Amino acid sequence: MFVIPAIDIKDGKCVRLFQGDFDKVTTYSNDPILVAKKFARLGAKLLHIIDLDGAKKGFPVSQQIILDIANRVSVPVQVGGGIRSYKSAKAYLCSGVERIILSTAVVKNRKLVKRLVAEFGDSRIVVAVDIKNGQFAIDGWTKSGGKSVVQSIALLKELSIKNVLVTDISKDGALGGPNFGLTQQFIDAGFQTMAAGGVSTLPDTIEFNKRGAYGVVVGKAVYENSMDITSAQAAVSYKNTLAKRLIPCLDVRGTKVVKGTNFTRLREVGDPVTLAKKYSDSGADELTFLDIAATLEERKTFREMVTNIAGAINIPFTVGGGITSLDDIRQLLQAGADKVSIGSAAVLQPGLIRQAAAYFGSQCIVVSVDAKRKGDSWVVYIKGGSEATNIDAVNFCVDMEDLGAGELLVNSLDRDGMNSGFDIELLRLITQAVNIPVIASSGGGSPEDFADVFQQTNVDAALGASIFHYQNVKPSSLKTYLASKNVAVRI
Amino acid sequence: MIAIIDYKAGNTGSVQNALNRLGVVSVITADPSKIKSSSGVIFPGQGRAGAAMNQLKNTGLDKLIPKLTQPFLGICLGMQLLAEVSDEDNVDCLNVISGECRKFPALLKTPQLGWNKVMFNKRSPLIRGIASGQYFYFLNSYYFDAEQMYVAGTASYGFDFPAVVAKDNFFAVQFHPEKSANPGEQLLKNFCEISKCL
Repeated sequence: MFVIPAIDIKDGKCVRLFQGDFDKVTTYSNDPILVAKKFARLGAKLLHIIDLDGAKKGFPVSQQIILDIANRVSVPVQVGGGIRSYKSAKAYLCSGVERIILSTAVVKNRKLVKRLVAEFGDSRIVVAVDIKNGQFAIDGWTKSGGKSVVQSIALLKELSIKNVLVTDISKDGALGGPNFGLTQQFIDAGFQTMAAGGVSTLPDTIEFNKRGAYGVVVGKAVYENSMDITSAQAAVSYKNTLAKRLIPCLDVRGTKVVKGTNFTRLREVGDPVTLAKKYSDSGADELTFLDIAATLEERKTFREMVTNIAGAINIPFTVGGGITSLDDIRQLLQAGADKVSIGSAAVLQPGLIRQAAAYFGSQCIVVSVDAKRKGDSWVVYIKGGSEATNIDAVNFCVDMEDLGAGELLVNSLDRDGMNSGFDIELLRLITQAVNIPVIASSGGGSPEDFADVFQQTNVDAALGASIFHYQNVKPSSLKTYLASKNVAVRI
Repeated sequence: MIAIIDYKAGNTGSVQNALNRLGVVSVITADPSKIKSSSGVIFPGQGRAGAAMNQLKNTGLDKLIPKLTQPFLGICLGMQLLAEVSDEDNVDCLNVISGECRKFPALLKTPQLGWNKVMFNKRSPLIRGIASGQYFYFLNSYYFDAEQMYVAGTASYGFDFPAVVAKDNFFAVQFHPEKSANPGEQLLKNFCEISKCL
């Protein structure tokens, strides 16, 4: 999260207003550029500059000073105040300002907002939602825009706005503590949300970070030294030490692990429990067993094997293959599997995913998607890759997340058994579309393939078979290689 | 004997498997007298807070657990239920350790799934012999935002969140030690030793 110092400019000076009141002014500095440079030096990664005179008059007044700041400090700036025409917006966006902040214009001129978003992109347009007594306020806080919070959210969605700056005006400049609930409404609605107004302490800042805010704009607290930008920014900088996982996959038929190419021509690899133990002891993060039983007898043997594996290894494992009912899932979980992976049944009876997630929890429901390229997109296949559907693979993944899947296992039929690298393009599209963990599968034939998939996509795990079974690459040595390529792995 | 509390919230079998590998005798039970007479109690769990609390209330375990005096280990949901309240299902929990359970913000993938590095910031017999910075296996969408004085270890998922808490005889971990390879095994071994079962 960003801790964003505010520089409010009035009559060329750096000032603060008390609760937006133009008659209650405190002047902090006569040189806003010096102030901006100081904030950048202290570790701010984004500056927030408001042309107060501009906001009141309805057109930029301090534009020259602001552009001087934008071009003379090393960090990006976002600018607001009086930007109500295409010309004034463009003047900022084409002259070194990273983002502009719109407010009144949104209420009064929707066409303009739409045009700016279309032309400059949603990442460069911020809408300031100033709420006073539950209403969207406009004109430099002196009038009310007559929209409730819920109405404002609907309007912003309609205008394709992604970034909002939420201020509870009654809190601003008063150091009385922020309005977390108001900000949360916008975060929950899916906006990249910056909070402003009354953010005065480190604990407040940390609280906004935990709530998923994009940034907090701080004013008085940094000018009067009740908050230190350097330590605040350090405390809320994004930290994530979750490792990428390597998952050896074992196809099991009856009592043997087998491996095939394009789901046909099977070869025996070894005993499931022995292999499970071997992989868990040599650095695998997780294991997946796919039951490719052809008979009921083989299926029963598989469940017994699940029990044996659960007793033998101390890492999680997933089982899949042939699951078509809640009862199948229950039996495998009771046998000791941590997660179940559901394939064709997820396509043929999506309701099963909803029921399974409700019954057993999303955390143990993995949906396995078999995708094959068709023109510019990918379609879902079922029944072990033997039958095409007309379902788009990316849309299918989004639907599965909505139904309650906790994780996706993405197989590429074009790459399966080919050792020609993962389907980076497909995995990129899917990881961008969903917000649950994604396991890359199919095509990982060399350590380089694994490095590529982790470096080039946002997958959480990668599955491998022949690289571990035949090439004798240990998960631990593959991880050493990945670590050398700056992939975060558990070693 | 270690009692593994059975409140229909999953993975009791995995915990028992892990204890079996250590050669520790355990029983999976919801029987208050068996739980009271055990030398250590493990409270595992997965699934939802609301359903789990209902189950505990139905069996009277919600009253029993806070009064236990033997070593107690909450795992995952079993840690979260020690809180005062949980955002999940907006439910009152067991109120053993101050703090509330909160959901990870939407900008992070949820659940947090996989191996995360746990940094210890306090000494505790539970983590004896385990280096700070070892990886443990997590699977959670909520975390226990416990009062700082009870936090013994943290992991980072967007920000630092409590991974280990300890208060008197109550220990709890957000990760799954039974699925966390050697460091997890060591932690369970430590707990069995604290419980004088090893």
